[in-house]
Amino acid sequence: MSPQSLTRPVSGKSRSRAVQRRVMDHLATGMSWCATFIVVFVLGSILWTLIKNGLPGLSLTLFTHSMGAPGAGGGLANAIVGSLLQTGLAILLGAPAGLLTGIYLAEYGADSALARTVRFVSDMLLSAPSILIGLFIYMVLVAPLGHFSGYAGSVALAILAMPIMVRTTEDMLRLVPVAMREAGIALGAPKWRVTLFICVRAARGGIMTGVLLAIARVAGETAPLLFTSLGNSEWSLDMQRPMASLPVAIYQYAGSAYQDWMQQAWTGALLVTMGVLIINIVVRVGIRGGRT
Amino acid sequence: MQADTITAGQDVAEASRPLAIQVRNLDFYYGKTRALHDISLDFPERSVTGMIGPSGCGKSTLLRVLNRMYDLYPGQKATGEVLYDGQNILAPGVDLNLLRSRIGMVFQKPTPFPMSIYDNIAFGIRLHERVSRSEMDGRVEDALRRVALWGEVKDRLQASATAMSGGQQQRLCIARTIATRPEVILLDEPTSALDPVSTARIEELLDELKTEFTIAIVTHNMQQAARCADQVAFFYLGELVEVDSTARMFTNPRESRTQDYITGRFG
Repeated sequence: MSPQSLTRPVSGKSRSRAVQRRVMDHLATGMSWCATFIVVFVLGSILWTLIKNGLPGLSLTLFTHSMGAPGAGGGLANAIVGSLLQTGLAILLGAPAGLLTGIYLAEYGADSALARTVRFVSDMLLSAPSILIGLFIYMVLVAPLGHFSGYAGSVALAILAMPIMVRTTEDMLRLVPVAMREAGIALGAPKWRVTLFICVRAARGGIMTGVLLAIARVAGETAPLLFTSLGNSEWSLDMQRPMASLPVAIYQYAGSAYQDWMQQAWTGALLVTMGVLIINIVVRVGIRGGRT
Repeated sequence: MQADTITAGQDVAEASRPLAIQVRNLDFYYGKTRALHDISLDFPERSVTGMIGPSGCGKSTLLRVLNRMYDLYPGQKATGEVLYDGQNILAPGVDLNLLRSRIGMVFQKPTPFPMSIYDNIAFGIRLHERVSRSEMDGRVEDALRRVALWGEVKDRLQASATAMSGGQQQRLCIARTIATRPEVILLDEPTSALDPVSTARIEELLDELKTEFTIAIVTHNMQQAARCADQVAFFYLGELVEVDSTARMFTNPRESRTQDYITGRFG
């Protein structure tokens, strides 16, 4: 083929091939647009439904009163605080283990048999059905102790949060250039100092992102809490007792036959979604800021 | 180990400078691949040894033997002897952190740590010494002055080092290395990622630093070797082809392969 034939189709055969390619190009682009539209439409309609149904129920009572009987004008204060407490404790429990495991995988384990096993198990946990985690904690914490508790709920959420933090911590540390590690070692720094003060520091934005994503993930979980913290309609800060949470309250209220409960379920769902949305936005802004 | 034992004899004439490092019959392996063949090379004290040769010839490999950087990677192995301060540093039981504090290294790409300019320099000092706040300030200033960076950064010592320009970052890395008061500085193509102006500044800097440090520099740039080095070693395919004074090397090399390389016939 001479160079000219690339820009100017000379024979009828190559001209028809050019037409064919253009048609295929338009077809593929069109299909991508359609698929994108469907996804965005689904997401948009969920958000719209949520706002339309949830916003009317938003009031101060929601944040000042605990859950009450149908028609008694209760709020969701105990569920909101329960969610904050259980999610907070879950991150406090899960973050050290998750971050340290991620550091081990990236810096120390590398390709050893142990590291590969840990990585595999962690990835399995990442995709494990969350109700299974709830059942597991029921078996090891709730049944032996004889009662549901906020602690049990926190442990279940911690197990869910851990693999997310393991994965992101490892991935972010792997992005730290080898040259950075070598530069630390070349100064005569022991490996633990290089890891802690150089690598983790360099990756801290990404690692924090992982923690926030883990919070966003577990804050909306219902299944692992059903068999662990159970839910509680009264105001309680005692984590040794059953504890309310927003997702469980939504689950209970949405399945009820009472108008005001259903309204609160929508509003609770809106609160959870907004919380998760805000965390995600913080993460995105944080990443953008961290890159420069 | 005392610093004095190494820096003794500083007044000896150029021709018979004491040797900072002696490499004897060094072989190096990446797994089963032999990357260095029976290298023997002396690094005279307080002078610049330039190491040149085409890519993959083993010059960087040799540099990474001198501070045992290869130890980080299982499967890399060196045999033979590298004598430094009367000791074979390839022998087991060598304190690698101490060794690396005395034989510093600067890399191809600037590697500022993700912390302030001040802390970049203090990091290395804190590893090996306990110094008071005021002494630390002095050490940081001194190191920055020696790389001609003090004037540019003295008002923003607490700013992030990663926001500096590439040339400034590389000078910071050199400052960081000399701040721990090593005796030898290894430079692995320190200017290959820099613009000509920054390169010239680093080359000037080397000229000053060699009055105090033993310097080994790997470079792809023949002019750089000619400008900076006191002696030049030419490597080819894992062998040390020739080592001689810079003047001799570039005017009248003994080996035809050296001649071919420096005149640009290969590599």
